Amino acid sequence: QAAGEPAPVTGTVKSGNDPVPGATVMLATNKRVMTTTDNAGFFSLQLPAAARQGTVQLTITSIGFATRTVAVSAGQTTIDIQLQKDSGAVLTDVVVTALGIRKSRKAVTYAMSEVNGSEFTQARENNVANALTGRIAGVNATGLSTGPGGSSRVIIRGNGSLTGNSQPLYVINGMPIDNSVPGGGSTPNGSTIRTSTDRGDGIGAINPDDIESMTVLKGGAAAALYGSRGANGVILITTKKGRAQKGIGVEYNGTFTLENVSVFPDYQYEYGQGDNGVKPTTLAQAQATGRRSFGAKIDGSTDYMAADGKNHPYTAQKDNLKNFYHTGTTFTNTIALSGGNESVVYRFSLSDLNAKSILPNNKYNRKTANLNISAKLSEKLRLESVIQYNFEKGNNRPIAGDALGNPNWTPYEVANTVDARWLSPGYDASGNEIVWNDAGIVTNSYFVVNKFKQTDNKNRFIGQAAISYDILKNLTVKGTITRDFYNYNFTSIVPTGTQYWPNGQYDGIKSDVSETNSMITGTYKSSIANTVGFTVLAGANTRRFKSDELTLAGRDFTTPYFYSFSNLSTSSAVPVASDIKTNSLFGSVDLDYKNVLFLTASGRQDWFSTLSPANNKIFYPSVGTSFILSDVLQLPAMFDLVKLRASWAEVGGGGPDPYAINLAYSSVPSASTVPLQNVSSVAITNASLKPFTSTTFEVGFNTQLFGGRLGVDLALYDRKSSDDIVSVPISTSSGYTSAILNSGELSNKGIELLIEGTPIKQKDFSWNTSFNFAYNKSEVLKLADGISTFSLGNSVNGNAFINNQVGNTYGAIYGFRMLRDAAGNIVYDPNSNLPVQTDVNQQLGKGVPPLTMGFSNTFRYKHFSLDILVDGKFGNSIFSVMEVYATRLGLMKSTLAGRENGLKLDGVTQTGAKYSYTVPVANLRAAYYNSLNRYTELFVHDASFVKLRQVIISYRLPEGFLKGLGVQSANLSLVGRNLLILYKKTDNFDPEQSLTNGAAQGIESIGLPRTRSYGVNLMLKF
Amino acid sequence: VPTPQYLFSKAVYDGALNSGNVSKLLFGTMQYMTSFNDVEGFGSKYVASQVNLSSAVFTAAYPNQINEIGEVIKAVKNDPAKINMYAVARIWRVYCFSRLTDVYGDIPYSEAGQGYNLSIFQPKYDQQSAIYADMLKELEEAAAALNPANAATFGASDLIYGGNTDRWKKFAYSLMLRLGMRLSKRDATLAKTWVTKAITGGVIRDYADIAKVDYVGSGQNINKNPIALQLFNDNYVKADGISNPEGGKYHQAFIDSLKANNDPRLPVLSVVYVGGVANTTESLQKGLPANINGTKPADFVTYSEPKQTTVLRQNAPLLLFTVAEANFLLAEAVLNTWYAGETAAALYEKGIRAAMQQWDLISGTTNTVDAARINTYVTAHALKTSASVAVQTEQIYNQVWVGLFPDAQEVYNNYRRTGYPALVPNNYPGNATGGKMPRRFIYPVVEQTLNKVSYAEAIGRQGADDIVTRVWWDKQ
Repeated sequence: QAAGEPAPVTGTVKSGNDPVPGATVMLATNKRVMTTTDNAGFFSLQLPAAARQGTVQLTITSIGFATRTVAVSAGQTTIDIQLQKDSGAVLTDVVVTALGIRKSRKAVTYAMSEVNGSEFTQARENNVANALTGRIAGVNATGLSTGPGGSSRVIIRGNGSLTGNSQPLYVINGMPIDNSVPGGGSTPNGSTIRTSTDRGDGIGAINPDDIESMTVLKGGAAAALYGSRGANGVILITTKKGRAQKGIGVEYNGTFTLENVSVFPDYQYEYGQGDNGVKPTTLAQAQATGRRSFGAKIDGSTDYMAADGKNHPYTAQKDNLKNFYHTGTTFTNTIALSGGNESVVYRFSLSDLNAKSILPNNKYNRKTANLNISAKLSEKLRLESVIQYNFEKGNNRPIAGDALGNPNWTPYEVANTVDARWLSPGYDASGNEIVWNDAGIVTNSYFVVNKFKQTDNKNRFIGQAAISYDILKNLTVKGTITRDFYNYNFTSIVPTGTQYWPNGQYDGIKSDVSETNSMITGTYKSSIANTVGFTVLAGANTRRFKSDELTLAGRDFTTPYFYSFSNLSTSSAVPVASDIKTNSLFGSVDLDYKNVLFLTASGRQDWFSTLSPANNKIFYPSVGTSFILSDVLQLPAMFDLVKLRASWAEVGGGGPDPYAINLAYSSVPSASTVPLQNVSSVAITNASLKPFTSTTFEVGFNTQLFGGRLGVDLALYDRKSSDDIVSVPISTSSGYTSAILNSGELSNKGIELLIEGTPIKQKDFSWNTSFNFAYNKSEVLKLADGISTFSLGNSVNGNAFINNQVGNTYGAIYGFRMLRDAAGNIVYDPNSNLPVQTDVNQQLGKGVPPLTMGFSNTFRYKHFSLDILVDGKFGNSIFSVMEVYATRLGLMKSTLAGRENGLKLDGVTQTGAKYSYTVPVANLRAAYYNSLNRYTELFVHDASFVKLRQVIISYRLPEGFLKGLGVQSANLSLVGRNLLILYKKTDNFDPEQSLTNGAAQGIESIGLPRTRSYGVNLMLKF
Repeated sequence: VPTPQYLFSKAVYDGALNSGNVSKLLFGTMQYMTSFNDVEGFGSKYVASQVNLSSAVFTAAYPNQINEIGEVIKAVKNDPAKINMYAVARIWRVYCFSRLTDVYGDIPYSEAGQGYNLSIFQPKYDQQSAIYADMLKELEEAAAALNPANAATFGASDLIYGGNTDRWKKFAYSLMLRLGMRLSKRDATLAKTWVTKAITGGVIRDYADIAKVDYVGSGQNINKNPIALQLFNDNYVKADGISNPEGGKYHQAFIDSLKANNDPRLPVLSVVYVGGVANTTESLQKGLPANINGTKPADFVTYSEPKQTTVLRQNAPLLLFTVAEANFLLAEAVLNTWYAGETAAALYEKGIRAAMQQWDLISGTTNTVDAARINTYVTAHALKTSASVAVQTEQIYNQVWVGLFPDAQEVYNNYRRTGYPALVPNNYPGNATGGKMPRRFIYPVVEQTLNKVSYAEAIGRQGADDIVTRVWWDKQ
């Protein structure tokens, strides 16, 4: 302190009792006079002597807090400043929009929602997209039942494309990343090991601790600047940056959770293992009936023999799921270092996620390193760079669908007097599978977990570099390059000694995928006569997507038990390469009149390398307006703000894949000297293909009342997809299985409501609540000329279909019913003594819930806080493969009829004559229950639910409690996810049970049971 | 751009493969094989819960061999220099379609495989009578068009005859004989017309002319004999008589018949594992009954199964049309008085001898069936020329049953037409037929959705889409 200079102003910046480190404190009239707070929130600002003659204004800013200006009078040397957390409801905020552009919230002309990164870091989901469940009106997020490292399915405002991708574009700091599942996603029928393994998607690798905020751009207008990729909405992730501060800020976040099976089947335990009413007493009978519960009345008798060749008491075994599955654990540790000075700030984080699934030997590990450096090289030149490296490793990911290698089959479908552990370890002295049932294809689950081998690892690198330069005071140019690259290896082994494939089978995928975007933008900001403000943006982008995939397949290991690709007696390696380039020019204009009336218009033109040159470019326009009614009209005092908004946009989706334009021929691997060639497209290609157009009109209303204590946001939208690229399944007799047409039309109309409030706000106690509700009505308007229905997928064995049918909702469940006459009598076929099947086009339910809601509450009392999230989905149905088998095998309570005296069937014949027949006990399974798989309707249930999704009880340790250890703040929480199902209609499984993140939703496929998880979270700041 | 000869090879492999698939289901129906398991045993048990299995052949046929042969025809059709290729492709197309229509009845034919060329996504189902008329016309035209003087053939890419046009001509007339005879139950006059034409044209009578697809037996699956591979993969990989993942074994009816007739082929095609070693002792051979309800019998290992070096030999050729078949069909033609060039008894004996001899091809070694025993067998099973036509027909088709094995589809076709061999159908719990023999396969369920109108027309014309409805030529 030089002599003659006045003493500096010192003080602290806090939010409640928490210090705010890294806050900027500056002189309002000269922003060069500034400093930042240290870890204790302390600052010391040297003011010029001239400024100390009177009262000065200090501006205090910090990310996540409302900006504040305070007065310091002459001679005052200390001041303690309180900052208010951004509630997200304060409309003066700046929000992040498409391409990472920051805008005043008032100026936004469409619906958008933000979730703070801290919402994901305590009660964690491995895949951060799953954490969106119930948070945002109109966002339908579901995790799959495929264990840790599994994919998510996120749908915003209904499915946008009839057969193509309906998931949103994921964007980090304004630039797109890849969200593909290597080798393709799992299918609901899971008929091969490859198609029934969920290998995890791209968003799953993002560490929630690195996320500052997530913004969901729901509609077309919000996503318009993404042109042909914006149709399904955009999820913008803004990553955390460092802050200028003294020293290094260190943060630690650790979470340890346990998980257990949450729903158990409600099976019958009156009649035990066996067939024809007889229990097994020999090994051969035990093996034949290993998965049949059509035996004698369970009576505790001791001459019963099970497939392990031992006598056991003939008693009910109700705990097979509990005994087979373990308690799963997930341990996540993240440490982040941040710091910097006024010109360079950095943040570096390391994270390790170690998950052991409830399924023995199924593991997932993810390591993430993330480095963010921002530099202000001069007043005009700024750099920002984000580098993320991921390593993901999966072991023995569970498959679902068909029975071969499905680890969930035995615990779910074993006969009800068998303790599944009797079948452990599932192999004999030579390592070969032990027979436990009549069908070799139904692998002993212990053999699967002990001997099947699946490993995958993914090395992923996301690099971003941006440079911006202010050419003029109001003119900024910015260049950004992002590359998201991964290298992936997958190997799945059906081992030697498997009953069904005694010599084994091999599946492998090697995949290199990259998504590279280079973008340049120029922004000019000014105003005319201080009444009309405008911002003009112009830019260009080049996108390059490349995928090189090698699929390896083979069977029969020549040397038994040696699992190498080179040891196969039959093998093939098929490379598939795709390369897509899209060039774009775009621009937007934002106008405002006195900050009351806002107008936005944008346009983007995309050129596609994969389309025919005749029609390879498309223009995407959007316009929007918002009006701040409360600034114009004199409204009652309770209204802080009333805003009306409207927007219209045309965006595109389903940017076409390579090889979709012309018929292609490939050479076929052959060991003969004669070359083979086939038509490689199973789909009929289309020379005039172009991306589909999604047109959205939306209006919205937003109000803030009672000083920000209550907020209401309402949106209505009408979204129509036209010229949809439909890969229409067609009769194979056409020579092809599908045709790629540009003719689909799909409508989604809906309403979204968000109510946020702070009913109680006192010094020691506060209650924040938020309720969101969304209803989406989808309707398939058109498929293709002459085609009114097609299937998106089906269950294994083709018992149920997920179809798009003109006039019905997107992705409805179809299948067979029992034929009934006009009076409702079942019509029987006297040949088979079974009900006659109707045709397959019986509409049995919706695969996608039209109604979703979430209700979140946060209570704070002194150092404690309690977060509760409840969410629900309503109006959809689900078909259960597990119940199909549990019926055929006699586990369902519905199969109890007829066990003692035979089952009497009454109805009519096809000619209308009275029909009556009693199925004898000796044929009850074989002649009747075993054939009920023919009637889809029996296995479709209402899938509506309400779940207690998340509970967090937090205790913030008193300040100074751990000061001796250098800890500034410490927070300890008990966390739980998916704790309770408050309402459901499915007796035997969780209605969210799903195997695929593809379009065909509404099928349960004997996947890994869903779980509840609970644990502890510790957050420390040093 | 397609290379027609490479596509042709693929079409031949695929057509042969799918024929193998049909045969696999029909092994059970024709009581060659069975299983205690309902899925694998479907063919021999006709269980209602598995009837959809029979639709797979339809699903596989069109995007593969039908589309491929269509692309070949498109590429060579208008080139006068390629008349032999065009003719050969047409014959192969008839072979492929005949295999389909015989098990399904009415099928998409005239509009089939035109998804890309004509944007026909919902091909109409043609009546089987019209399909037969066209197939026979195609065979006649193609046979006439073949020109040995024109050297442009598929050459080595022709996996059946290596470009030999004379042999293709015989194959065309042989198929004409087969398809013509197929009409005997429905329209004897029409049948006679085509059978006569075929005989005049000249059918396969010499061992060297047998129509067959050759296989390598290693490397890719497509290079392996599809029937052998399918059987091997499903059940006989371990070759120990007990592992059999799908529970497959020879059917009791087949083994009993071979034993009762002292058939010298028994040790050629059947083994029993004794102490883990394949044993061909005839007295030990035993077929599995088809009425076992899901329980693996304790004595499972003692039942007979296919021999690894013959029936399961993956580099064995797949026989498409044999000398034996020609002789048996001609013998029937004699009984019908449609042919008088030879006697039925002589043709019948030639048929038996040819059927024995063709095991040389399958096993890859000469004189596989003991020559002395062949003579004994022929003597013991001479045609009872003084008995009724029905008795003689039964004799012929009992021989077809053993003699065409493993081409279960042709045996099944003849069974439906003639009623022989007089197999006893299985009245298994939960069967879909009321204990009667199935008469056809069902269409893929998705046709009800994706090809609704045409499907409904076909059902309306032909009868319910179940496995007891008879196809056109099976109705009297």
